[in-house]
Amino acid sequence: MARVELVNLSKSFGEVKVLHDLNLTVEEGEFVALVGPSGCGKSTLLRIIAGLEDATSGEIVMDNEIVNDLNPRERNIAMVFQSYALYPHMTVEENIGFNLRISGVSKAEKRERARAAAETLGLTDLLDRKPSQLSGGQRQRVAMGRAIVRNPDAFLFDEPLSNLDAKLRAEMRDEIKHLHHKVKTTSIYVTHDQIEAMTLADRVVILKGGVIQQIGTPTELYRNPANSFVAGFIGSPAMNFVDATLETSGGQTTATLQDGTKLVVSVDYAALGRDVKLGLRPEHLELAANSATNAMPGSVRLVEPTGAVNHLKIKVAGQNLTVVDDTLADLALDAPVHLSIAPEYIHVFPKDE
Amino acid sequence: MADTTPDPDVTDIRSDAPRRIRRHSTRRRWVKTLTPWLFISPFIIIFCVFTAFPLMFSAYLSFQEWNPVAGLASMEYVGLDNYRLAMDDPWLWKSLYNTTWLALVSGIPQHLIAIPVAYLLVMAVRSGIRQVYTATFFVPFITSTVAISLIFYTIYSGNSGILNQWLVAISKWPVFSWFLGWVEEAMPIRWLNSSDLIKPSIAFVVIWKYTGFNIVIYSAGFLTVSKDLYDAAKVDGCNAWQQFWNIALPMIRPFAFFAITLTIIGNLQMFEEPYVLTEGNSGGVGQSGLTASYYLYLVGWEWLEMGAAAAISWVLFLFIAIVTAVHFYFNGKKGLGGDR
Repeated sequence: MARVELVNLSKSFGEVKVLHDLNLTVEEGEFVALVGPSGCGKSTLLRIIAGLEDATSGEIVMDNEIVNDLNPRERNIAMVFQSYALYPHMTVEENIGFNLRISGVSKAEKRERARAAAETLGLTDLLDRKPSQLSGGQRQRVAMGRAIVRNPDAFLFDEPLSNLDAKLRAEMRDEIKHLHHKVKTTSIYVTHDQIEAMTLADRVVILKGGVIQQIGTPTELYRNPANSFVAGFIGSPAMNFVDATLETSGGQTTATLQDGTKLVVSVDYAALGRDVKLGLRPEHLELAANSATNAMPGSVRLVEPTGAVNHLKIKVAGQNLTVVDDTLADLALDAPVHLSIAPEYIHVFPKDE
Repeated sequence: MADTTPDPDVTDIRSDAPRRIRRHSTRRRWVKTLTPWLFISPFIIIFCVFTAFPLMFSAYLSFQEWNPVAGLASMEYVGLDNYRLAMDDPWLWKSLYNTTWLALVSGIPQHLIAIPVAYLLVMAVRSGIRQVYTATFFVPFITSTVAISLIFYTIYSGNSGILNQWLVAISKWPVFSWFLGWVEEAMPIRWLNSSDLIKPSIAFVVIWKYTGFNIVIYSAGFLTVSKDLYDAAKVDGCNAWQQFWNIALPMIRPFAFFAITLTIIGNLQMFEEPYVLTEGNSGGVGQSGLTASYYLYLVGWEWLEMGAAAAISWVLFLFIAIVTAVHFYFNGKKGLGGDR
C-alpha cells in the first residue's frame, strides 16, 4: 500500500492546459474518487499517476519517493481500464497471470496466485475461456482479477463500470467496495457518475476544467459544497438554482425571488453581495400550506413517479424546480401548490459563479 | 321471396377468378425466383466463360496431345501419358525445387522485414509521415514486374552493373575491407550467369518488390490493436519488446495469415522475375532460375505441347493446394481469429 501525493501537478497538450497545479494527497489504504464532467482531465490525471502519461510540471510522490521518471512497472500500480483492455488472445487465467509471467514469477506460483484471484472474484469456472466468451460483468471481473493478483501498492480505476447495465453496475459497485474493505489497498477511482463516487469513496475530488473544485467526504460535499458547480454536481436529482436578491435587516437575512417571494436564509450571506443564486436540493423542498415558513407559490408542470417517491417539476418564480415528493401526493397538472424549505437547507452562491 | 337466379355476369367473373389468381401468382413466383438470378447473372456468365470453362478444358486437355498451331482437329487422346511424361521429366522436379527454394528464401524475409517495419511505422511515426513512408514502400508493388526485372538485370550486370561497382568501392573502405577483401579478385561477379547466384538474385528482386505490400497489410493490422491493450501491457510491466512480442504480434495473426497465404500462392506461381532475369533462356545456367510456372510456359508456348502443359498445370495446382492446406492446417485456426 502506498501514500500517493500530487504536488503542483500540471499537464498540457501543446497549447492546451488540461490540468492546473493540482495538489492532492491520497492516504495509505484510502479510496479516493475523482469526479467531474467529460473533458475535465480526470482520466488524464489517472494516466499520469499510472505512468502512462508524463506530467508537464509538478511531482507525483509515492511513499515519499518522486516517481515521475518511473515507468508503470516500477511504480507497482495496477489499473482497471474502462474498456477492460483484456488480451483477446489469452484465456482468463493467462490474462490474470500475465503480469506475473512478465515479472518472471514461476509457473507454479503464477498458476496458484491467478487461481486464488479468480476464486476471490468467482471466476474459477471461467479460467479456460477467452474474453470474447465472457459477458460484460465477467470481463469486468477478469480486469479486476488482473489488478489484484499482483498485490500492487495502489489500484487505479478508470471508469470501470461505465460499460455495464444499471443493475450490474450496482452489483459490481458493491463488489469493489467489498474488495477494498478486504484488501485495503490505496485506490483512486475515476468516474463521471457522482453516485458511484459517493457510494464507493472515502473522499471525493471534484474536478472541473482541470482544476480541483473541492475535496471532501461525500457528506461534506453534499452538505457544504464549496461552489455552485460542486453543489449542482453532487446529489441526485441535481440541485435547483434560483436567482434572488439578498437583504439583511434586523439581524435576519432574506432572499427575494424574482416574483417577490421572500425566503429566510439562516446564515448571514451579506458578504456575497446583493445578487445571488439560491441552491435548493429537490429532497429538501416540501409541498406545504401557504402559511408555512419560506412558502413559495407555484404550479405543477410535471409528475414523474419513480415508485418510492415522485419527482415533481414545479414552476416557481418563472423557473422549474425539481421536487422529490415522498408523500406521493396526487397532483393534477397546473394545480397551484406551495413549496417550503427550511432556512438551514438553503445554499447561497454568488450569482456570477 | 328473393330471386336466387345467379346473374350471368357475376357467375362468369366468379368462375374465372381462381384461374386468374392462379395465373397471376405463378407469374409472381417466377419473377421472384428469377430476379436474384438475373442480378447475379453477370458474375455467373463471366465465371463460366473465364473460369469454369478454362478449368474444365485444361482438365480435358491434360489427357490429350495437342499442338495449338495445328488446330483443334489435331487433338488426340493419350490417357495419362502427359502426366507420366511430366513426372519423368527432370526439369519438372528441378523447377519445383527452384520454386520451393525461391518461395522460402524470397517469402520469409518479406515478412521478417515487413512486420517490424510496419510496427515501427505505426508506433513511432506520426500518421501523415507514416502514410508517406507506406506509399513509398508500396511503389515497387505497383510498378511493372517486367520493368523492375529489367532494371535489376542491368544492376546485376557483371561488367557494367552498379552492384559490382558498389561492392568494389565498398570493399576498399577500411571498415568493410576485412570481410570484403575477396571482392576485387572475384570480379566480375556474374549474378545472373552463375547457377549458384541466379536464385538469390531473383529472390532479392522479389523481396524488394513485395515487402512494401506486406508492410501495408501489417500496418493495417497493427493499427487495429487498441491503444488500451498497449497501456494495459505497460501497466502489467511489459517493456517495448514484450509489448511487441506478447501483444502486438499475436493480435495481428489474422493479417499475418492473410499475407503469408498470399505470399505462398504468389511465390509458387513466380514467373516474370525469373523469366526476365534469365532472358527467357530456359531458366538460365543449369535451369537454376526455372520455376514451375516458367517450365509450364516453356512446355506450352515454346514447345507447343498444350496437353503436357495442362497436365503440369494440374500438378502445380496440386502442389500449391497441398502447401496451402498444410499452412491452413497449422495456422488456420489462430490465423482466422478462431482463438478469440
